[in-house]
Amino acid sequence: MSTQILKLQAEIKSSNGLHITSNWLNYSGVQEYFPEELVITVKAGTSMAEICAVLAKNDQALPFYIEDETQSIGAAYANGAQDLSDSVLGVQIIDGSGELLNFGGQVMKNVAGYDVARMLVGSQGKLAVVTQISFKVMPNYYVGKLKRRAKTTQRSALREEIESRLKTVFDPKGIFN
Amino acid sequence: MNVINELLDKFPKGIVLTGEESTRPFECDGLSVYRQKPLAVVLPETVEQIKQVLKICKVHNTPVVTRGAGTGLAGGAMPLSESIVLGLSKLNQVKSIDAEKQLAVVEPGVRNVAISEAVAHYGLYYAPDPSSQIACSIGGNVAENSGGVHCLKYGLTVHNVEAVKILTIDGEELILSRDDQGLGLLALMNGSEGLLGVIVEITVKLTQMPKLARVVMAGFDKVADCANSVADIIKAGIIPAGLEMMDSFAIEAAEGFAQVGYPLEAQALLLCELDGSESEVQAELEVVLKVLSGASSIKVSNNEKERLDLWKGRKSAFPAVGRLSPDYYCMDGTIPRRHLADMLEKINELSKKYQLRVANVFHAGDGNLHPLILYDANIPGELERTEEFGTEILRLSVDMGGSITGEHGVGVEKLDAMCHQFNAKELEIFHQIKSVFDPQSLLNPGKAIPELHRCAELGAMHVHHGQLPHPELERF
Repeated sequence: MSTQILKLQAEIKSSNGLHITSNWLNYSGVQEYFPEELVITVKAGTSMAEICAVLAKNDQALPFYIEDETQSIGAAYANGAQDLSDSVLGVQIIDGSGELLNFGGQVMKNVAGYDVARMLVGSQGKLAVVTQISFKVMPNYYVGKLKRRAKTTQRSALREEIESRLKTVFDPKGIFN
Repeated sequence: MNVINELLDKFPKGIVLTGEESTRPFECDGLSVYRQKPLAVVLPETVEQIKQVLKICKVHNTPVVTRGAGTGLAGGAMPLSESIVLGLSKLNQVKSIDAEKQLAVVEPGVRNVAISEAVAHYGLYYAPDPSSQIACSIGGNVAENSGGVHCLKYGLTVHNVEAVKILTIDGEELILSRDDQGLGLLALMNGSEGLLGVIVEITVKLTQMPKLARVVMAGFDKVADCANSVADIIKAGIIPAGLEMMDSFAIEAAEGFAQVGYPLEAQALLLCELDGSESEVQAELEVVLKVLSGASSIKVSNNEKERLDLWKGRKSAFPAVGRLSPDYYCMDGTIPRRHLADMLEKINELSKKYQLRVANVFHAGDGNLHPLILYDANIPGELERTEEFGTEILRLSVDMGGSITGEHGVGVEKLDAMCHQFNAKELEIFHQIKSVFDPQSLLNPGKAIPELHRCAELGAMHVHHGQLPHPELERF
């Protein structure tokens, strides 16, 4: 296990008032890439440009709309980049209690347990520190042209309440901004 | 007034079923070894009625097991002794179709194939095609995040749902859409097995029907060669519309049933469907045929009848195996594709160990395995041996970096196996997610996520001397 991760886990475990975001981790690089499996696992701090460059060597691509290649994949995940969720296969996180947890994995189909890996897309770093994400990639040819769509901004009171209670599930001490 | 009387009192005749004869058909889903009669079965006709049912059940602290068409294979819709069954089959209308945006709004009881039929005249269809598609309902598909043979290229249910309207246990409406800002609650609802809310409306994405589809059937002398060809096709940059594999026993069973000309001498069979425009299919076909040059036999469909015939064998593999044995047990593990050949070998070894025959049918493109274990429930102990065999396969799947279920769900069937895939902290998060939506635990309680003490007891049984099972396997 990476010392960076162990260190962060320890800090979160001992902290009550620590406010952190995934950014400070500076944790980047491609962990595993299996072109014939259409799977790549990357550390959350990896820039999308780096991921795209690695994939391009095998004529593959991330099959979602990328707004800014200089952004880290973790940021795109936290911001809920358009259709990114569709390609997510698994995620590794450190929750607000300092536990290292895995949801999903590297396989195409997986319906065991709730789909936390996709649920955390768009969570803005408020629920957990995302350390590593696995994606399904596709040959360039099948990705085609991706267009931008607008997101709705309307949010019901019920939705707000559910989201705030879900935050408490992952971050009971309220240490993530 | 007790819950049954209140339900009977509230609704017109025919909505609440209580008698022994009328509730018996609901005592199980597609996994018929698990049976339980509910207190009552409620078959509402409107969303308003569902809200009333939920309110009454909440007041009486009565669990609600939501049911679509009852074709699930994991006991997800099996009633509980103190529960009612909330059957949504009467909500079966396609409410609207937007051919331009390629969307349809449907009620949860609409059958999967009925969506494609309703939009066929626009040249559109609903892509996910579980084998039960003529019977299974779209509401159940969302609850299970169902797959099918065309997932690799066209995605699972979660990829083909644009929005859902759910009712919370309080009867409140919540609309979740792909374009929402915030947490991925729409994705969370897919595959939640009826534990978080009742899905009452679904907006599905529609896909343009391909101009042409052709199937390549390749027979192999060696199972490993067939398994490796799956990776080779994808390595060559081709994403087939379907990529399925069968072993010799499954070939024999399917051919005996469907008589479509499968090569009986082959040890393994690959079915590879290519679709798109004529030129796209031609280009892909050339690449695939080159990759498959080591096959012992090759056949390419030349027209729609031939294509459907080649699929007929695969699609009837389950009933075909059913003819060979009084009972069969279908597993649903997924593994990284590179372990396919290894997994098949291990299943063969286990088959010898447990003295039970296995027919293997795979969604090979997705690494999703459906080993069918043949058994006879009338022979004492054989079901237990079968379940033990199945559990070993699922544990192997997890140890290879895969999952215990790719598309059938956990239900009641795979609760023990869940303990192998997730640790206590992860399971605790799942339980807490449920209580965010359903604090009284009234929606399909006890399914999908095992209680921690269940895993602790199981762990005490399975971990010997701190040794992991299958230490030779690479872990992820």
